[in-house]
Amino acid sequence: MSSKKTVPYVLIMPLLLAFAIFMIYPLYKIVETSFYKVSFLNPTARLFVGFDNYRWLLNFKVFNPKYSYFVTALGKSLIWVAGSVLLKVIIGMAGALLLNSKFLAGRKVYRALVIVPWAIPWAMSSMMWAWTLNSQFGVVNSIMMKLNLIEKPITFLSDPTMAFATTMVVDAWVGLPFMIIMFLSGLQSIPDTLYEAAIMDGANEISSFFKITLPLMKPVILTVSLLSLVWTFNSFDIIWILTRGGPLRATETLPIAIYNTSFRLIRFGGIGKASAMTVVQVLIVTLISIFYIRTLEKGEIR
Amino acid sequence: MRRFLTLALLAILLVGLSFSAERVLKVLMPIGGGYTIEDQEAIAKEFEKDHPGVKIEMEFVGWEELWDKIITSIGAGAAPDVMYIGSRWIPALADMGAIIPLDEYIKPEKKAMYYDTVWNTVTYKGHIWGVVRAMSTKVFIYNKKLFEEKGVKIPTNWDELLEAAKKIYDPDKGIYGIAMCGKKFVSTVTQFQQYLYANDGKIVDEKGNVVINDEKAVKALEFYKELSKYAQPGIVEWKREDLIKLFETGKVGMYIDHVHNARRALEKGVDVGFFLIPGGPDSHKPYATVIVTDCISITSQSKNRDLAVEFINYMTSFEKQAEWDLKLGFVPPMVKEKDLPEFQKWYWKPYIEAIKYGYPEAVGIKDWEGVQEAVLDAIQSVLLGVSDAKTALDQAARIIEILQK
Repeated sequence: MSSKKTVPYVLIMPLLLAFAIFMIYPLYKIVETSFYKVSFLNPTARLFVGFDNYRWLLNFKVFNPKYSYFVTALGKSLIWVAGSVLLKVIIGMAGALLLNSKFLAGRKVYRALVIVPWAIPWAMSSMMWAWTLNSQFGVVNSIMMKLNLIEKPITFLSDPTMAFATTMVVDAWVGLPFMIIMFLSGLQSIPDTLYEAAIMDGANEISSFFKITLPLMKPVILTVSLLSLVWTFNSFDIIWILTRGGPLRATETLPIAIYNTSFRLIRFGGIGKASAMTVVQVLIVTLISIFYIRTLEKGEIR
Repeated sequence: MRRFLTLALLAILLVGLSFSAERVLKVLMPIGGGYTIEDQEAIAKEFEKDHPGVKIEMEFVGWEELWDKIITSIGAGAAPDVMYIGSRWIPALADMGAIIPLDEYIKPEKKAMYYDTVWNTVTYKGHIWGVVRAMSTKVFIYNKKLFEEKGVKIPTNWDELLEAAKKIYDPDKGIYGIAMCGKKFVSTVTQFQQYLYANDGKIVDEKGNVVINDEKAVKALEFYKELSKYAQPGIVEWKREDLIKLFETGKVGMYIDHVHNARRALEKGVDVGFFLIPGGPDSHKPYATVIVTDCISITSQSKNRDLAVEFINYMTSFEKQAEWDLKLGFVPPMVKEKDLPEFQKWYWKPYIEAIKYGYPEAVGIKDWEGVQEAVLDAIQSVLLGVSDAKTALDQAARIIEILQK
């Protein structure tokens, strides 16, 4: 009797151990550090400061007198992430529908090609995009000018608003393969018989989509978009390589701000404050996720 | 027999162990911008040959990641013994106790080998914190063909400089008077500083006062903005390191850069000439340039100080330093180097001549990375038309004053 009770625990012990080492311990370290004033340059000189670092999140208004450094970055993150995830979900779904349709020739080729943005290391694709969008040497501008769509080259990364949108689009491009593949496998699990029955009842493509596809895809859409939300919140490389958080802090989302606080703002910042920023980010993302899941699952309860 | 073999093996092991008790020196070096792994490892191998029992463990990291690498390795308690650093980082590193002062290790003969300005760049709070390994000055590199075509003479003051840029600027043909940068990167600050110093402005003066928002500085930033009207569009997406790509296409009249990029343009067939950066309206000198140095320092976590000093002296002997400067195309920091035949070549002369008009990049600045953020915000907001120069620099001054406390 006792062996029956202990065996399951013994079997999952390795996983629990890995979980503890790779997730609980770092998380604990970050929370602990958030209560200290400490800098990378002098790691042994730690000073306990209680909730001072958290107060700093709301008080540090040196760069912008109206909103604190943390709040500005948080605001930018929220909009940037919403935009990027929306693009990924919509274009991802469209792409998956296209790749699932029986009328598209060469589907297998496209399904293989779709992996490419995901497979290229993000640092490389960011650098590639930086030059592709360049106003002097970039392919995008040169094609648009040849097609007479624009008169002068667009400086994608030099205007603050444009740079915000551009980095959002590049981030969506990188994340699309994952969305498309996930949605595609979701679509392929919907039995054809449902569509055949619907057609017999007089449904067209559009009502099929809204009445059959979408409701049955809901669990997949929920899971995938939630994963994307969390991952996009942590997106750093793309913005860093394209604009370094500029111009004029337009693309200084939370990950960039946290990085700057640890590595660049030696006198103002420090690891303690960066840890506090991280803790709050984790709490916010968790809250958003819970709220998101609840709202979308509400539709299930009939 | 077996016992004999066991004893023999043990003996060999013990002898082997005693040989492997060698001293290891950990060195952190950058790559990129001319620095290569092969060149630097060659120096390590030569040192090891001359010093049996010593192993040099070199670690390489890209220039853009050097600061982060320095911070994280110090933070993790795994700092190297010897570190290559930008001299502008000395105040921050010294204040945090991350590097040690080197005064006791630098003999007067060694000191006399370099220009005085060179030692200024590594002096902070009355101590010397690094031995200079690379120095740069910058001058204007210009396209002789474009200048001749438009009948432009070499500018000797700012009015002439602006005129030159205006005359050559022909956007319909894709020809730009000047190539400029504005991306959020350290080299943008240095480019702006050329004009700042040329107008006798500074970020922080000799007494430690923040003067980045005085009249001379405001004029310099306003001039930077004026010039930008005749530069390539979208200068905020360009960093100085990439401007050479534009210049070597022959579509740019002039720009400020290192000698090795001028030589690259020459190889691409551009008819290259040079002129020193002319002084601005408030200047007391005819020309100006920013002196940037990188140096080698010893970390406070190092347990091999004597070995580190030996290695640094080895790297910076006259012969080795000259070899390095010639190979990488850096301005020689040691006075006698300019007498070497290679440095007599025509493309070296303007850069060496500029040394006497030069002012160090980051003297008196306690937290370079923070100051950089503040100045970049000012430059970008003026370039993007979001703010005028005075307001932008006032904001920068406010932040820098806090950083200087």
